[in-house]
Amino acid sequence: MRKRLIGLSVAGVLLAMTGAAAAETVKVGVLGVFSGGFARWGAQFQQAITVYQKHNGDSVKGNKIEIVYRDVGGPDPAKARQMAEELILREKVQFLAGFAFTPNALAVADLITEAKVPTVIFNAATSVIPRRSPMFVRVSFTLAQDTLPLAQWAAKNKIKKVVSVVSDYAPGHDGEATFVRVFKEAGGEILDAVRIPLSTTDFAPFFERILQQKPDAIFLFGPGGPSSVGMVNMWAQRLKPAGIQLLTTNETQEIDLSKIGPAALGSIGSSHYTETIDTPLNKKMRGDLEAMFGRDTVPDTASVSAYDGMHMIYQVVEKLGPRPNPDEAMKLMSNMKFDSPRGPVQIDPATRDIIQNVYLRRVVDNGGRLQNRNFETVPMVKDPWKEWNPEKK
Amino acid sequence: MKPLGTPTLADDRVSPLWHAMPWLLALAFYFMGAGYHSLGTNILVYILLTLSLDLALGYAGIITLGHAAFFGFGAYTAALFALHVYSEPVTGLIVATVVTGIFAALTGMLILHTQGVTLLMLTLAISILLAEWANRAHGITGGEDGLRVTMGYVLGLFRFDLWGRVAYLYALAVLFVWFLAAWSIVHSPFGRSLDGIRQNPARMRAVGTPVWWRLVAIYAISGAMAGTAGALSAQTTRFVGLNTLHVLISGIAVVMLVLGGTKRLYGAFIGATIYVVVQDVAAKVNPFYWMFVIGGLLMATVMFLEGGLMEVLDIARRRFRQLFARSRA
Amino acid sequence: MQTAVVILLDGLAYGMVLFIISVGLTVTMGLMRVVNLAHGAFAMAGGYVAAVLVAAGMPFFAALVVGTVAAGLLGGLSEITIFRPLYRKGELAQVLMTFGMVFVTIAGLTFFFGTDIKRLPVPDYLGGLVDIGFRTYPAYRLFLIAVGALLAIGLWYLIEGSLYGARLRAAVDNPRMARAVGIDVNRLFTITFVGGCALAGFGGIIGADMLPLEPFYALRYLVPFLVIVAVGGHGSFKGSFVAAITLGLIDTAGKFLVPSIAPYLFFGLVFVLLLLRPHGLWPAKSAG
Repeated sequence: MRKRLIGLSVAGVLLAMTGAAAAETVKVGVLGVFSGGFARWGAQFQQAITVYQKHNGDSVKGNKIEIVYRDVGGPDPAKARQMAEELILREKVQFLAGFAFTPNALAVADLITEAKVPTVIFNAATSVIPRRSPMFVRVSFTLAQDTLPLAQWAAKNKIKKVVSVVSDYAPGHDGEATFVRVFKEAGGEILDAVRIPLSTTDFAPFFERILQQKPDAIFLFGPGGPSSVGMVNMWAQRLKPAGIQLLTTNETQEIDLSKIGPAALGSIGSSHYTETIDTPLNKKMRGDLEAMFGRDTVPDTASVSAYDGMHMIYQVVEKLGPRPNPDEAMKLMSNMKFDSPRGPVQIDPATRDIIQNVYLRRVVDNGGRLQNRNFETVPMVKDPWKEWNPEKK
Repeated sequence: MKPLGTPTLADDRVSPLWHAMPWLLALAFYFMGAGYHSLGTNILVYILLTLSLDLALGYAGIITLGHAAFFGFGAYTAALFALHVYSEPVTGLIVATVVTGIFAALTGMLILHTQGVTLLMLTLAISILLAEWANRAHGITGGEDGLRVTMGYVLGLFRFDLWGRVAYLYALAVLFVWFLAAWSIVHSPFGRSLDGIRQNPARMRAVGTPVWWRLVAIYAISGAMAGTAGALSAQTTRFVGLNTLHVLISGIAVVMLVLGGTKRLYGAFIGATIYVVVQDVAAKVNPFYWMFVIGGLLMATVMFLEGGLMEVLDIARRRFRQLFARSRA
Repeated sequence: MQTAVVILLDGLAYGMVLFIISVGLTVTMGLMRVVNLAHGAFAMAGGYVAAVLVAAGMPFFAALVVGTVAAGLLGGLSEITIFRPLYRKGELAQVLMTFGMVFVTIAGLTFFFGTDIKRLPVPDYLGGLVDIGFRTYPAYRLFLIAVGALLAIGLWYLIEGSLYGARLRAAVDNPRMARAVGIDVNRLFTITFVGGCALAGFGGIIGADMLPLEPFYALRYLVPFLVIVAVGGHGSFKGSFVAAITLGLIDTAGKFLVPSIAPYLFFGLVFVLLLLRPHGLWPAKSAG
């Protein structure tokens, strides 16, 4: 009897030492939008994850990484919370990921804190999110981060007077606040800050009014989709002929560019991801996305964030095993530095938010196809909002 | 003998067993549905909303697409009350219900002299105006980002637990109370007069019924009930977003009501459950299909099953009783 | 002063698009007393058909014709299969049925086309800027105003001046009497419904620049369309014209002058107008 006990203990110790515990499945719950008007976000998540798993296999050290998708349908905090609960309690996921919309992320904050589930944000871009739970880490971007370099560049490049035009909702207000502050600090003048209701279909009167104010440029922020397309088109019709420049962040992202059409030519944008970024990883990711899902898939900021988010999760499993201690996992992720298809990225351990390059780019005609082309890189930009709004301890 | 398929105003000849069934099922779910309690709570909230719409639309014939206004109003009131005044849930629920009821009464008084499409448009206008205001007043409402709420202990005793079990029982209790209220209203002389008002307002006026006042009254009650549903949603998820005010909520409520069957209080139970479950399941299979399925179900229901799915249940119940009677004889 | 002209033109163009799409709904709702929440779906159908054809190389105006006809045919089909049984079933049933149709349309279009906007580019000669004396102005909007005006005049002549119009007005005023005089009211209904849907399709196609085509179109613009009908008055073609133009002008001018109240303007106005005139600006006469 004793011999057997010793034998078993020795075996147990040996097993523990090799770390080759029985291979376990690591479940990652991805909350995305797969139906309704915003379904492209979910599609981007899913496609990028599939490609990542093609590049890196679907297991880490023998542990299978299983993705469990759930559809929230849009900004719906109650549903997001319900699905997160299901994923945590029913599916017993080790990680949560996804979140295209801020309200959905905010709604699960106290849940993930209490249940201690590391959560990687693939899109939602409002600055405050990581502060709401120590289990949040963001790998996408913040609006303020993308906007800061644009305002600074504008002030340095003969643009003195700007009218800010944003859609009338929280991210729009954030964009406006950031641009106005940075531009003014850099010596520029803000003539007006216009907020356009989300439900607007005809933008003509707003833009007519701006024309009368004669700025050098307008800063535009919209929600993507039909509204953004409409606004850029209106700029092209009314303001471009008068020589008023268009400054945007992600309005001309590739997925919308073909819908806007030649109207977008000449506009200047700033973003953390451009389709023409010349890194080997970007080429590989885009190549595979096209090969696997067709010419019409347009990899965009959501794709690259999902790709990188998976990378982070894989790293955690690689280093800490299939059942990592949540606090250790968060510590590991908060200190990660790696190469993404978009360039070098880093997570800021103090804020659990992403630090990355921001690219200034222009929309050009590349042999009949519209493209964003980078002309300047602003390296390793931190989210300025957090510096302006220090956390009260 | 009533012809098969005629919806009965009161389920008079239904045995208590059938009445108890939905509640027993709900309780059973509490014990067996681990991990799905949030889904269950969401269903209960939607049942309450659909029930409120049944009173206004099913019984009183007020065609409205504006109930989201009351749902959202109740949700935000409860959230703000918990944030700024007192965080005990039941108190907040009562406050939200009453305040939303007053709001419903006021708007009802403004618009209920109209009918048909005009009334529909007015309910929509109110709903949309409220949603716009909430978006702008983001200092109060949190705008697009929404409001996070920390709730106190229910009655000072029960904490909303991580698994959502307390929330589920809380919602169930509230639903039960409102159900009893709705039942009494519908079976009262007041309730029966609503049936007449829906079918022929002119005739009702001719016999001296104060039509307008009755409509305002039921609209206010319905609004208050929808407000409770919103407050429940806010308190149990501890979060309120602008989507609670969105026109889509009104539309979904109508769909749930029709699917289940109007003028049959239990219809709300069936309709809401089916809608939420179908959406959940269909979304997992293929996210685009749920709209197709719901739209198709809606069209089929209107075309063939005027009494909604309750009618199917009725038929089933009659058959069952016939079978039972036959086997006895 | 010059700005005022531009704003006037902007508002007119917007109003015209609304009118063109909504006028079909006004007539069918007034004539057949059918609540058709799916009207936008016919506009959308015409738009998508035209967009696909244009993308395949068909010239714009040819696609315009085909798309309009397609929308009309679809309308005829719907009338026979879906709407005829609905006449007796009451307003609520119609609201629900057509609401279900909207859902099905959205799902179907999403399935075939995805959720993004379907571009329907206008021909180059219409897409540019035109010199109107003191500055340049988008040619496309002038085109819209012209088309809308022509359509309004044409329809007015049709309804007030032709035999068909006379029969139509008779059927609206008193269907029983009209039948008694030998007017085939059922066939009239079908023809009118087809016409209304064709008009919607037409509006959807030429308005695609201002109201972009995407699967949620029918739901997104449902409210403005219904508003035009309610404010103008059922069955009143004149009413819907005035309502569309008025709302378009006031909405546009309001956004220009005081952008901060823009969201409240449209619906606040609708609210007030409907309270003052519950039966619309020009209610259709109807005998009991």
